[in-house]
Order: sequence, then structure tokens, then C-alpha cells
Amino acid sequence: MGVEAATTGLAIDLPPGRESGLWRDAFRRLLRNRLAVAGLIMLLSIIALAVGAGAIDEIARYDPDFQTHADIHEGPSTAHFFGTDNLGRDTWSRVLAGVRISLQIGLGTQVIVLALGLVVGALAAMGGRLSDNVLMRFTDIMYAFPDLLFIILMRAVLEGRDWLVLSDQRLQIMLAIGLVNWTTIARLVRGQMLALQGQDFVLAARALGARPWRIVLVHMLPNTLGPVVVAVTFGIPIAIFAEAALGFIGFSLPPPTASLGRLAKDGYNFVQLNPWFVVFPASAIALLMLCFTFLGDGLRDALDPRSR
Amino acid sequence: MTGYVIRRVLWMIPVLWAVATITFLLMHAVPGGPFTEEKDVPQSVLNALNRRYNLDEPLWRQYLLYLWNLLQGDLGLSFRGDRDVSELIGRGFFVTMQLGLLTFIFAAIIGLTLGVVSAANQNGPLDYLAVFFATAGAAVPNFVLASFLIVVFAVELGWFNILGWGGPIEWRDTFDLSMWDPKKLVLPIISLGVVPAAYIARVTRASMLEVLRQDYVRTARAKGLVEFTVVARHAVKNAMIPVLTVMGPIFAFLVTGSFIIESVFSIPGVGRLFVEAVLRRDYAMIMGTTIFYAGIVAFANLAVDIMYAVVDPRVRYG
Amino acid sequence: MSHSIRRLLFGLILVAALGILLASCEEDKKEPAGGETPPDGAGQPAPPEDQHVVMHSTEPEFFDPHRSNFEQDIAIERMLFRGLYQLQATADGGAEAVPAMAAGDPVVSDDGLTYTVTLTDGLLWSDDAPLTAQHFVDGILRGCDPTVASPYSYLLQSPDVGGIIGVAGCDEFAAASDASAEEQEALRADVGATAVDDTTLEITLLAPKPLATFKAIFSLWVTFPARLDVIEQYGEQWTDPANIVVNGPFTLTEFVAQDHVILEPNPNWALEPTPLLQELTIRFIDDFEAAFRSFQTGELDQARIPEAEVPTAQGDAALNDQLLIVGAGRMTSVEVQLDNEALSDFNVRLALSKAIDRDTLIEVANSGVGVPAEYWVVSGVTGYQGREPFQDLIGYDAEGAAAALEEAGYPGGEGFPTLTITILDTPARVAQAEFLQQAWSETLGITVEIRQVDARTRSTIFNEETFELFIGGWQLDYPDIENPIVGLFNTDGGNNKYNCSMPEIDAKIAEASSATDPAEHVTLFQEAETLIVSNLCGVIPYLQEALPYLISPKLGGVNESPTLDAGQPGNWCAECWFVQEQ
Repeated sequence: MGVEAATTGLAIDLPPGRESGLWRDAFRRLLRNRLAVAGLIMLLSIIALAVGAGAIDEIARYDPDFQTHADIHEGPSTAHFFGTDNLGRDTWSRVLAGVRISLQIGLGTQVIVLALGLVVGALAAMGGRLSDNVLMRFTDIMYAFPDLLFIILMRAVLEGRDWLVLSDQRLQIMLAIGLVNWTTIARLVRGQMLALQGQDFVLAARALGARPWRIVLVHMLPNTLGPVVVAVTFGIPIAIFAEAALGFIGFSLPPPTASLGRLAKDGYNFVQLNPWFVVFPASAIALLMLCFTFLGDGLRDALDPRSR
Repeated sequence: MTGYVIRRVLWMIPVLWAVATITFLLMHAVPGGPFTEEKDVPQSVLNALNRRYNLDEPLWRQYLLYLWNLLQGDLGLSFRGDRDVSELIGRGFFVTMQLGLLTFIFAAIIGLTLGVVSAANQNGPLDYLAVFFATAGAAVPNFVLASFLIVVFAVELGWFNILGWGGPIEWRDTFDLSMWDPKKLVLPIISLGVVPAAYIARVTRASMLEVLRQDYVRTARAKGLVEFTVVARHAVKNAMIPVLTVMGPIFAFLVTGSFIIESVFSIPGVGRLFVEAVLRRDYAMIMGTTIFYAGIVAFANLAVDIMYAVVDPRVRYG
Repeated sequence: MSHSIRRLLFGLILVAALGILLASCEEDKKEPAGGETPPDGAGQPAPPEDQHVVMHSTEPEFFDPHRSNFEQDIAIERMLFRGLYQLQATADGGAEAVPAMAAGDPVVSDDGLTYTVTLTDGLLWSDDAPLTAQHFVDGILRGCDPTVASPYSYLLQSPDVGGIIGVAGCDEFAAASDASAEEQEALRADVGATAVDDTTLEITLLAPKPLATFKAIFSLWVTFPARLDVIEQYGEQWTDPANIVVNGPFTLTEFVAQDHVILEPNPNWALEPTPLLQELTIRFIDDFEAAFRSFQTGELDQARIPEAEVPTAQGDAALNDQLLIVGAGRMTSVEVQLDNEALSDFNVRLALSKAIDRDTLIEVANSGVGVPAEYWVVSGVTGYQGREPFQDLIGYDAEGAAAALEEAGYPGGEGFPTLTITILDTPARVAQAEFLQQAWSETLGITVEIRQVDARTRSTIFNEETFELFIGGWQLDYPDIENPIVGLFNTDGGNNKYNCSMPEIDAKIAEASSATDPAEHVTLFQEAETLIVSNLCGVIPYLQEALPYLISPKLGGVNESPTLDAGQPGNWCAECWFVQEQ
């Protein structure tokens, strides 16, 4: 038992001489939030299932793109857990494929959002008044731009072009969605960093002669990341919904790719004929959304130093 | 404060200009023009059409011409029927605004109630129930929710109607009560409002929980006040402050129109106007609606920031 | 999605089974234009008091017949205006042009170039002004006018520039968009349409045309009469309800952009039948799914529904009775870019065609709507040959397909490049493309990727010939076998974007175009079709389209002719409709 234990009487076993860091504390608080933990476990299970379906045939049971014309519009059965669609494709494997694709898009979008947001926000905060003004005006412009219009225009402009890696449709969609969503992160980062700039530990680092980059990376970013992580967690389902909206207009991934958005749109065309066709993809989207929401809530509570 | 507001308003001008320019460039980078058809169109007709709408001028001239007209308040003509863009946007916005306001009220009432109730019963059954409904309802894409609501409540049960907008479509009919048809209002408002309601509920709950922990609330309880009074009079007011920050973007979202709901319910709003313009390459309409939207968003944000400053005495703008 | 292609209208109105060209051989058994006779006083129950119907249309752009591009516009214009002649259904499912505003057939001069048309006496516009020959002349001039820029001016222009009827002087006038005002005035005066007096007009053509073709063209909207004084006074707003002046069965009383239009009977309508409807509301709905549901809630009395919902309708006893699937005069095919190295090999195309099980494709991917097709000329046109001559040649044969591919040098698909098929982003086309993709992959072992784009992008890809495979086709403009062939398969054809270039086909088309005998005309073009299909010269046909509608039993007088346009309400004789007891 360490010194702390003896003096405070706490039952927690603290290793001698070590403090609990911010992250460890946060993690512990997260674990205490039942909804968040449930969300995390469910999410990991879904991911495992989806990834497994991609790798192991027995899980997917059918090729998601394979049409069996004799078995169209079937309901759930032992042969087809989720039934079949209008061309006789197995909905179970398509939904799992859709989860993979939608998660890819969701995560990929957030990578872009994070990269842009961090860079712009940090530069604005650290780069002096001029760069702050310029970058914040740029953020204003992107913020004012109607999201859907920008996404559609970006997709329409990029679609079919062969500019190196941009010809990948998935990347185009991530780019389109990411480019409209980074402004929140940028503002967050800037706000946090501006607040931190005046703090003692930063002034101290400066006084010790540390270079600006080091200050940013080592001292400020870790303290900024809390709200950023939360924003990113909420951003993933937003991206999934945006992809579904694109699917509704017809600007999503090319057929027969089974993104959840496309599956939901396909189902929309058959609601009265075969309701199962829309129920399962919609439930998948809902589950993912719930998981990320609970997880995000939990992370926010856990990382907020004021909550108990 | 006044200085702040004026500066914000002035900043809008270059921002809107930038939005307009980016739109102009992107719009012309999209393949296909307004008269591109699969079938061979005689060159004489193409020439005549391009001449009629100045599309045969070099891009920079078209751009400057557009800006010049814009400064005079002329948004140009839509290729669809040669109708005035500003008139079409005005009428479309009238409908979208009604939908947005009604949905906002719906979302606010449901969201705030759910949020307050669940916070007051934290971790109790009511809390979990409320959280569940708030999140589950918002967890599916709205066109999926809409199609289920339509099939169950309109087609099968026949309780509601789904074709068109259940309110006045022209400005002059605003006070004409016969133009209102509640049966058509219910489903679009629910389909559109579920997501904002859920979001408001969660933010309200979080904010209320925060406030309920505060010392002055403990004091109120210690004074022996009934729980209801504690919550209603002391907690709610202060909990509203952070909630206001999300109301802004939500309001902007609703008011700028959900294209999907407008399509599904055949509502003649500005959201549809704008997406269809992109698909048809209706240049003047694309420019007009984008600038219009950007303007609305900017004003909405300014309004929220001002409200925030008014409500929260700690916030001051230099 | 409102990608109602303007051409759709044509096939619909104009598709005539026996062809207007053979009208002389037609028996004159004419049925009344409506499917049912409206109730009259003689022993029939009185029609219900409330004569108000709500119809469905996709959103139109213009109500000005000389500016319109799309079928839905034209359908409504046909309710508001009427030309010298009008198309009417015949008993056998065809269509013929009969006099409308004209008193009878035109008198043709000996050289076949001058047509004199006499109007019926006492015709009036809706504002009580007399309808004169000059108004028809003005209409024809507007059709050729470059400042008006009618997308259908080509109907009046000559075949030299890809036109049809060839009104004298129209070519020059239409091409003069860059000319000065004086030059345009001079060219306008030279157009071969003049008013001899108030009830007689003379139209001069560049070359003789069959009478049936003349009457057919002068039934079309681009020849509708125009009131220049009204247009002058109100400019672009002349079609507003407050300003518009019409000569058709209905007039426009209310228009709300994006939402609906309301029509009411025009008291000065000169022909039979007089509309029984008191009010006709047309709601604009581009999402056919929404239209389908609105029909089910009773908010629409007629709706065009998506193919995907046809099985749903068929599964419900009540809806099934109200379901009407009508031929569309459109042939859909996989268009093949012959400039592409792999596709230039006939055996490759043959393999692609033989790998398509068309019957299953229509059944599964198109919900059973439409007719499987190994031919090019659609049914209802004189000279239609159908599947029989071509089924063995290019029809479904899995083994034959694999053999053909091997013959081409790609056994089992080995070494075959990955191709892309470009499609429009509608559910029906996506399902068809996915079906084709799997058919080709299963039977031939080749990979085809699907590229789904919006309408404008797709048209650009087609026009710029940057496609490899493309789902497209041809919508009939007018009911003649030459229409889907000329301009599409001759080497310098304007619509020949797939670069079909075969000397035999060029020769045959030239021969057929110059044939004067109607029977020979048909036979030669049939031979052209055979050459085209058996060589798969740029097209692999697979589906003759049909359009599904739901029509409430409350609506009577609906013309169920499969040849008169099924596309939009107007072409079904709106003046024939009425509300009936159910």
C-alpha cells in the first residue's frame, strides 16, 4: 500500500510515486457509464461481425452481390437470415458489407475532418492575428456554404475524373462529406488552444525556450483532444447519414456496392412489397447510430473535468 | 455590442461573395449544361438557346454580369419557364419556413420536455425510456422513417394525407384559414422533427444535469422548496443557455429545408428547388439559392450569438 | 426524377399502328376518342355533381408550345391549345390525324409543294377574339424563330438539316440566331407560311410529303396558333393565368410553381366533345413513389407509378383493377461504342447479346413491365418485325455466348478488358444494369462496372462518345419505320454516337429513304433493321418499354389506346374525361 492509501484511507491501490493521468481517469469514468460501455461492446461486436463477414465465408454465407433470380423478395428464413432483395441477393451479407463500407466512409470522413480541423484550428490559434483572421474567415465561408449543395457539387465535379487517387469513389464521398464538416473541429481546436495559451504550463514551456511546434504537439494538443474526440465520435454517424442522403439523390457509391445508404434507398422503393428489405439496413444504421451516440455521450462525460 | 453586430454584418458581404464565387466555379465544372440532351439537338437550336441566356459568353464575362445584376438585386431567370429566381425562392422559402418553424416548435417542445423529465429522474426508468425514444427515433435516415409513417398512417390507416403542403403556398394567403390542412402537416413535421428533437433532448438533459448539481440548486432544495419548483424556476432557466447554442444550427438546418422530406411529401419548398436546380444545371437558380442559404445561415448564427449574449450575462462581445 | 425525355412524348402521341403513311389503306372505322361514352340525357344516369379530378404529372417548365422541351409540358399545352389537325386513336390501336381547327384535309397543289388549309368558320379564342389563319401562320413562324429557340423547330425544318417536314425558308430562318434584326425580318418573311385571308392559309414545302405526314406534323404543338399581341403585351408572363389566351378545350386558371396547375373548360372550345369536367387539377410530382402512395390515400385520381411498385399493385385486388400498363413506343438497348477495340469485334457483341436472358431480365429486374426485345423497331409501327426473325440470331443462348467470346479470342473471358456501362440513376436502370453485370460475369467471365450518373452528365457522356457500354435507346418521334433508323445508323447520322459505320447499312438506308412507294419504303427499312440487328451495329436491344399507371374507377373517358401517348394525361383526350358513378 502506498503512502496515499495510508493517509486517505482509500481502497484504491495506487502504485507508489505514480499519478493517474487524465486519460486513465477518463477511461475509468467511461467504464462506469453503463450505456457507454454497452454501446462500445455492441459496436465492437458489430465491427467484428462485419469484418468477419468480409474475411470468412461462413459468416457472410453468400456473396453480397450474387443474384439468385428464383428467390427474390423473400422474408427472413434459415436460408436467408434477413431475406433477399429485389434481385435475389442475400440481405444479411449485404447488410454486413454495408456496415463495413459505411464504417469506412464514416471513419475516413473523420480522418479528413480531423486533419483539416486540427491544422486550421492550430494555425489560427498559434499563427498570430493575421493568420487567425484569414483562417477564421475561410472557416466562416465553409460554414455558410449549404452542406448538401457542396457535397453534390463536389461529387458531380469529381465523379468520373481520373485524377490519381481521387478517382476512387469512396474517397470522393469521404472528401465531399469531410470538407463540409471540419469547421466545427477547427473552431473547437482554436478555442481550446487560445484558452490554453494563457495557461501557466504553456508560459513555462515558452520561458524554458521550447519551440512553438513542441509546445503545440506535446503540451496543447493532448489537452485539446477531449472535446475533439467527442466531436469525432459524433461525427461518424453524421457521416453515415450524409451518405444515406446522398444515396437518396443517387450520388452515392456505384451499384452494386451495398453501402447502408444505398440499401436504405433500395428498400424505400419496396416498402409495401417487401418491408423486410428496408427494416434490416435501417436497423443496422440505427444500431450504429445508437452505439456511437452512447459512446460519444460517455466520452464527453468522462473527459469533462468538471463532471463527477 | 452594437459595434460587434455591425462588424459581423459587414463581414457577411465578403463571405457571401466568396460563397457565390466558389459556387459559380464548381457549378461550371460539373459536366453537362442546361440544354444537354441525349438526343441530338440541332446546332441552330443550341446556338439560339445559348445566345438567349448569354451562355455563349466567356465564363469571366458571365461571372461579372452575374455579380453586376446581383448588386442590383436581380437574381436572374430560371431556365425552367423563364421565371424570376427571386420570386421562386421567395415562394419556396415561404413554404419551407412554415415547415421549419412548425417543426422547430415540435422539436423544441418534445425535446425540452424529454430532456427535463429525464434529467429530473436521472438514471430512473423514465430517464432511460426518454433517452431511448430520443435516440432511437433519430437513429434512422428520415426518408426511411417517413416511408414507414406514410405506409402505416396514411396508406393503411388513412389518418393523414401526404400530398403537398398543408398550409398556404402563396404569401397573400397567409391569413386564409381555409388554406390550412392539419392532416397534411402531421407526418412531414414528425419525419423532419424527430432528429432535432432527439438532439435537443440530449443537450437539455446534459445541461439540466449539470445545473442540478450546482450549489444554488442545493440551496433551493435545502430551503425546503418543492422539487418541481426547484426544477422549474431555478434549474430550467439556467440550463437553457447551452441549449441555445444548438438551437442555432438546428434552426438554420430546418429553415434551409430538408430536400428529402420535401421530395417525399411533394412539398414545394426551397430545398427541392435547389437540389433540382443542380441536377438540371439551372445556373441562375443554383447561384440564387446558394447565396440565399448562406445569407440565412449567417443571419441565424448572428441571431443566436446575440441571444446568447442577452441571456447569459457572462458573455460579452468586444 | 423528372428526366422525362422530350422524345418520350413523340412515340406516345404519334405511334400509329398502321402508320399514317398507310392511312389511305385504313378502314375508316373510327371509334369515339374516349374509351367510354360520357353519359348523356338519353336513358343514362346523370353524371355526378362534382366533376373535379386530380391528375399526376411531372413538373413542366413552360406552357408556351413554342418553348417547350418535355412531354409533360406538351401534354398540358394540348389541353390549352389545338392545331390544324389532331391525332386520334383508331380502333386497331393506331393513330391518325383528323381535322381539328381545320375544316378538312388540305388542298394540295399539283407539284405537291403548296398546301392550302381552310379553317372552320366562327372559331374564337378564349377572349372572344376570332381565331384567324394569321394566328396559325404566326405559330409556324414562332416555331422557326431563332429568338424563340424552340427545341422542336427541327420538325418544321427540312431533312437536309435533320428535320422532318421542310417548310420552305424555315431552315435559313432557324439558323439565323446571330443575324441582325433586319436580316431576321427578311428571313421571317421568306418562310413558306402565309394567310391568304382570315380563314385560309397556305403552307409551302421544299419537297412533296405524304399527306398523312403533313397532317401529323400539323397536329403537333410546334404548329399551334400564337397570339402575338398577347405575347407582346405580357412578355414572358403571357402564360400566366391572368393573361393567357387559348383555343383548346381548357384554359389555365391557376398555377403554382412546383406544386400544381388548375384548368377549367374554355367556353369557346369549338370541337366535340365539350369537357364535362368543371375543374381539372394537375399535381406536379417527380417522385413516382410519392405519386403511388398519394394515389392510395385517394389524393390523386390518376398516377404514374414506378416499375418496382407494379407487383405491389398487382398483389392488391382493388389496385390491380386500376392498374394500366401501356406501351411507350420506346426501345431500350445496350449501346456499344464501336470505336472501342474489344467491342469493335462482332463476336464480342454477339457474346454480350447472347448472354442476356431477356425474359428473366424483364421479369426480375423490371418487375415484368415491358416486352423482351431482340428487335429494334417497336410494335405499333408498320413494318414491326418482332422477336421472331432475330431470336435465334442474337437471343439468349448461354453456350453460344461463351463460344462467341472464345471465337473472339477471349476464352472464358480471359484477357478481356474491364468495361464500364453508364446508366441513369433510376431504380429500374440500376436493377437492369446489375442484372446485366451478373449475366456477363456468369456466362462470359468478364467484368463490367456500373457507372451511375445524373441525366445531364449521362447525356454529355453520350454526346461526347466517351462511353464503352451505355443503356440508352430510341423513343419514336412519329409513327414511321424510318424514324428509329435514319440518323442513328448511317455513318454521318447525328444520333450515331456509337459509330456504327457499315457500307451495306449506309446503302440500304439511302435506298430506303428515296423510295417513294409506301410498301417499298417499309420493306427496305425492314431490311435495314435486319442488317442493323444481325450485325449488332452499335446497339444490343433488350427491352421495349411500357409505362404503368393507376387510374381511379371514378375517372371515366380515359382513352386506353396503347398507341396514343400513355405518357401524360393530355394526350389521352382531356376533354373526354369525366367523373362517373362507381
